[in-house]
Parts: sequence; structure tokens; C-alpha cells
Amino acid sequence: MLGELVIFGFSIEAWITLLTVVSIFVVMARSRIPAEVAFLGALTVLLVTGVVSEEEGMAGFGSEPVVIHAAFFVIIAGLMQTGVLYWLTKNVLGDPKNYNNALLRLMVPTSILAALLNSVNVVALFIDAVKIWARKLNISPSKLLLPLSYAATLGGMCTLLGNSSNLVVAGLYLNKTGQSMNLFEPLLPGLVLTVVGVLMVMMLQHYIPPRRSAEQSFETTSDYTVELLVPTDNPAVGETVEEAGLYSVKGGSLVEIVRFDREIIMPVPKDEWVLGGDRLIYAGQINEILELKRTHGLAAADHHVWSINDIDTKRKMRTAYVDFGSSLIGRSMSQCHFEQKNNVALVAVARQGYRVDGQPREIKLEAGDTLLLECPPKGDRLLEQETRHTVTFFDSHFVPQLGKKTVTSAIILVLMFLISSLHLMPLMASTMMAAGLMMLLGCCRITGVTKYIEWELLLILGATVVFSVAITKTGIADNIANQVLQLCGRNPYVVMAVMCLLASLVSEFVSDVGSSAVFFPIMFQQAEMLGCNPMPFVMSLMLSVTISFASPIGSNTHMLIYGPGSFKFTDFARLGIVMHIVLLTLALILVNIIYPLY
Amino acid sequence: MKTTFKEENNDFVMYFEGRLDTAAAPAVESEMTPLNDCTGHDIILDCSQLEYISSSGLRIFLAILKNAKPKGSHVFIRGLNDDLRQVFAMTGFTNLFEFK
Repeated sequence: MLGELVIFGFSIEAWITLLTVVSIFVVMARSRIPAEVAFLGALTVLLVTGVVSEEEGMAGFGSEPVVIHAAFFVIIAGLMQTGVLYWLTKNVLGDPKNYNNALLRLMVPTSILAALLNSVNVVALFIDAVKIWARKLNISPSKLLLPLSYAATLGGMCTLLGNSSNLVVAGLYLNKTGQSMNLFEPLLPGLVLTVVGVLMVMMLQHYIPPRRSAEQSFETTSDYTVELLVPTDNPAVGETVEEAGLYSVKGGSLVEIVRFDREIIMPVPKDEWVLGGDRLIYAGQINEILELKRTHGLAAADHHVWSINDIDTKRKMRTAYVDFGSSLIGRSMSQCHFEQKNNVALVAVARQGYRVDGQPREIKLEAGDTLLLECPPKGDRLLEQETRHTVTFFDSHFVPQLGKKTVTSAIILVLMFLISSLHLMPLMASTMMAAGLMMLLGCCRITGVTKYIEWELLLILGATVVFSVAITKTGIADNIANQVLQLCGRNPYVVMAVMCLLASLVSEFVSDVGSSAVFFPIMFQQAEMLGCNPMPFVMSLMLSVTISFASPIGSNTHMLIYGPGSFKFTDFARLGIVMHIVLLTLALILVNIIYPLY
Repeated sequence: MKTTFKEENNDFVMYFEGRLDTAAAPAVESEMTPLNDCTGHDIILDCSQLEYISSSGLRIFLAILKNAKPKGSHVFIRGLNDDLRQVFAMTGFTNLFEFK
């Protein structure tokens, strides 16, 4: 009975859906309730009131976007553990001089990559790389993550593969007309929109809020004290530290030399000689200092090293925390047999908040200290078991792990891109295959891989898909669209503009894919009724649903950076509303210039 | 710690006796001044009576070498005992000096 009741053109179920969706925005904007709790709460309302069935309510969690995202997290774990992300930040993003330069160096390559490889792929891939970069540049990650999201979505507009909604629209067009769209059909308007969008982000950069990332306060780059040994046959022996290039080091400084006979040189003058067996103590950014191992033949070892060739180059760097209640607390590494017993060598120590002075091996350890240990190439699990309750190993972005597996995981990634780009396999299958290969080929540790999956995000995505179903099912989108057509009369430009505005607004609240699926049949029919070429209607819809930048729900890429950037829900609206209005207007003009209506 | 400077067969010879540790190093360093002007002479550092050498002592030896090389002089080490030889080997000094 209730289901048949209609109030102001909407059924009771439609009103429940509308109120629930609006409530999410109010709750998330006004309270500190976590997003996933708000979304699950809303989903519960829709389930309990019978707006969606149990099957529909649960289907979202097994939907394509959820599965693809889950697989991506595993792929990202593999890329991080094998050093691909480290390589990317070092070589693709470069070394910008200031924030403006950083924006340009970030947005241009990521928009190009997104056009070819899908915006979600690129953002998921670059999030961690950009976070490391932000730490290097000493800017808040949010100041780079939001431009990354914009660049990827904008770049994604240029090809059918760039954004998921483009593929949905192209598929619906093929169903209706029997004509398949060219991969680069949206290139021309997409390119202009991308250039204008990138320039707008640069001009309106003060709208991007600086948010302190949770991880930022946990592990800082400037706090490590690193110890490196000069092997006997090192060519630097007999030279001064300055001549040997060991004094002025990028990202750090030489604070102390400990001689073979325990004599300490501190501070270190530029003309101090280097002797074999010296332990050089540096303070600074760990990744830059560790480069000295490769470039200057220094070693990480707890014993004397005669030749760098004696060092097992396959040994790898791992980071670990000193556990509470650990037997290491209150003792220095030189006072216990931890290194010998576990075949590890302490390279560096960091303590939250301040740098610890002195030789790392002589520092009295405290609970929570971060240790950088050189570990055997194999037997991670055994090492973790044997050191349980003493230290806890974790993966750090700062430790370079370049090796054969870097190449392996990069190949897996390229394969995934190729297979999904060439449609040899659906995107979901190719991402799952890549995630599986990452684990099978040892690019990421199988144990603990689930800790890389951001379950909160998956819950939100799953719930979002259900809202899309509810909005379509209860006729909200259909009803609004039809009423607009009655109001607009028969001017095709007005109809197109109003429909695109509505589609982009619905996209803001639901998802670009859902919005395009709802609006496509209506707009196509409108074009035919008005006797117009449907192409400008279709293309304007394709572009306008991706212009929804004002909320994290509207943009898949915004959703991906939401957690990592520690954004607030309303942060996206500041720049997003301006971008939405300008780019939507421009998209409509461009489409109508490129595709004639008659 | 005692040092003796002699000129033998046109070579400058410095005899070391005792323990060249960190405490003795500053005094020994100042006693090395005759070796500074070594143009036309090779230098021999006689360690037959040297019992111990610290890193500070090695720095003095290195300074002598760095001063002599541009002047075309050779620096030879003579009479190292096994312990000292081990220290020279470990610090990479075996590759820097010539031995007699």
C-alpha cells in the first residue's frame, strides 16, 4: 500500500532514498562519524525499509568496482615491497624546486597515463608515490593528492579507457546504434578540458586544503641516524671525506666517524681522512643516505668487512619497531646478541620526534624506536617469528628495495595494463590476475597482505553501488529527467545543458557510472525526439558525468585519495564546485562545436 | 713514546719507539716537522720498536704520505710487527704505503 503512495511525484520509497542520501551528506559534514559507518547505516535504512532487497543490498559488495579496488590494494602492496613505487617517485616525478613546479610535474604525466591506463589505475598507483614525494618536498600530502585526482580524471576524459563511465556510455551507444565508438572519440574535447582543468588547479591552488596525514606524524624522513662501514678495499681510504664525496651528502650530513679503535671524530672536519674500518654516522633521509652503499661501496655490517665483494648483495633492508616489553629496551645493540643471533645488521635508528645522537649500535633502545635492519634475502617469516615480542617488522616507503623482483612486479603491472587496455580480459579479471601473480611470484608477502586492503573504502564503494540501484529502481532519476524535459520545451541546446547539469549533479551524489547509465537512455531518446544527431548528447553526457568533482562519491579518484590524504568530506567542494561549473560549460560548448546537432 | 730522526743514504728515516696512541699523537705530530721539506729524499718510517698504533697515529702517517707524494718522494714503512701489520691491512693502509 505504502509503495503505491505518491507524494510530489515521488513514491514513499523514492523519498526514503532521497532522505537517506541527503542524510549521509549532513551526517558526514556535521559529525565525526566515520564515512563507512555512515554509508553502512544508510544501507541498513534502505534494507530495513525494503527499498532494496537483500540481494540488491549485498550485491554491491561483490560488484566490479569493489573487487577491482581490493585487487589493486594487493598490487600496490607488491609494487611497494619490490621498490617500484620508490623507483617511480625517484624517476618519474623528479625533483621539483617549488610547489608550482611540483604540480606541473605531477599533473602532466599522470593525466597522460590516465588517458591510456584508466584514471583509477593511475591514482591507485601514484597515491603512495605522491605521499613519499610530499614528505620529500615537506608539503602536506593533500596538496598533491587532490591535483593528482584531478589530473587523472581529466586525463581520463580523453579516451574511452580513461574513465569507467566512458566505457559504460560507449557500450550503451553500441547497443542503441550498432556502431562502436573509436577509442579516441572523446580526445578533442577531453584534451581541451584537461589543459583548462590543469591550469585551473594551478591557479586555484589555495583552495586545496593542507591536511595532516596520519602517517606523517608516525615516521618522519629526517630522524634517522645511519651507520655505514668503510670496507678495507674502498677507494675512499686515504682520501679526505670531502674528496671522497662522503661529506656533503644529498639529504643528510656526516655527523660522526667512529674509528676501528673506537676513537670518535665529532664534529667531522671536511679534511678528515677516511680509514678502512671507519664507521660513518650520518643523520638525515634514509633513502638518500642508503644510496651511498651503491654509489660509494659502503657496507652495513656489525663486523669488519675487508671487501665490498664479501657482502651478500641480495640482503635487504627492512624496518622494524622495538616492541613494548622487548628485551632490547634499555640496552644497546652492541650489548646484546640480537644481530648475530638473527643474522641481521643494524643500519639506522630513528626515534619519533627527535634524532638520536651517537652511533646507532651504541644507542640505548626504547620502546617504539624504529630500526633499519639489513636482513637475509630469504626467510622473512622465520625472522618475524623468531623476533616476535622483541621487534615488529613493517614495510616502509623510504627503504629502497630495487632488485630482480622490481622488474618482475613492473612486468606484472605492464601486463595488467596491456591486457585490460586491449580488452583481452575484463578489467576485473586482469587486476585479479595481477594481484595473484604478485603473490605467487613473491613480489609481496602472502602473510599479512590483507593489511594492505583498505576495508573502509571497500565498504563505502559497496554501499555506493547499492544507492545507485536504489535511485534507479525507485525512479528518482527517471522522474526528475522527464520533468525537466517537459519544462525545457524543444530547444535542444537548453535540453542538453539542463540534462548534463542534472547528470553531473546526480553523479556528484551517486557515481559517474550510475549516473551515465540512468541518463543515457533518456538523453538518447530526447535527441531522437528533437530530430538531432545523438552524438553531441552522448558525448556531452560522457564528459559531464566525470566533471563531478565536488564530492568524494562523485569521483572514483577522489574516493581513492579520501583516506590517504586525510581529507574532510567538504574539502572537495571548495575547488570542485568552481571546476564543475567552468568545465561543464566548456564541455557543452566544445561538444557542440565539434559535433553538429543536425 | 719516542721518535728519532736520522738522514741515512739520502733517505729521511724516522724511528718510532713505544706506543703511538691517541694521547701521544699530538706530540709525535709536532716531531714530524723535519719530514715536511722532503724534496729529493725518500722517507722511511721505521716501526721496528713500535708496539702499538692507534687511528690517530695512522692519521699522522697518512699526513706524511700526503705531504711527500706531490714532492715526488716515496714513503716506506719498515719493520712492522704482526699486530701492526694486521692494523695496516684492516685499515687499507697496506695499499697506500710501500714496505721495506
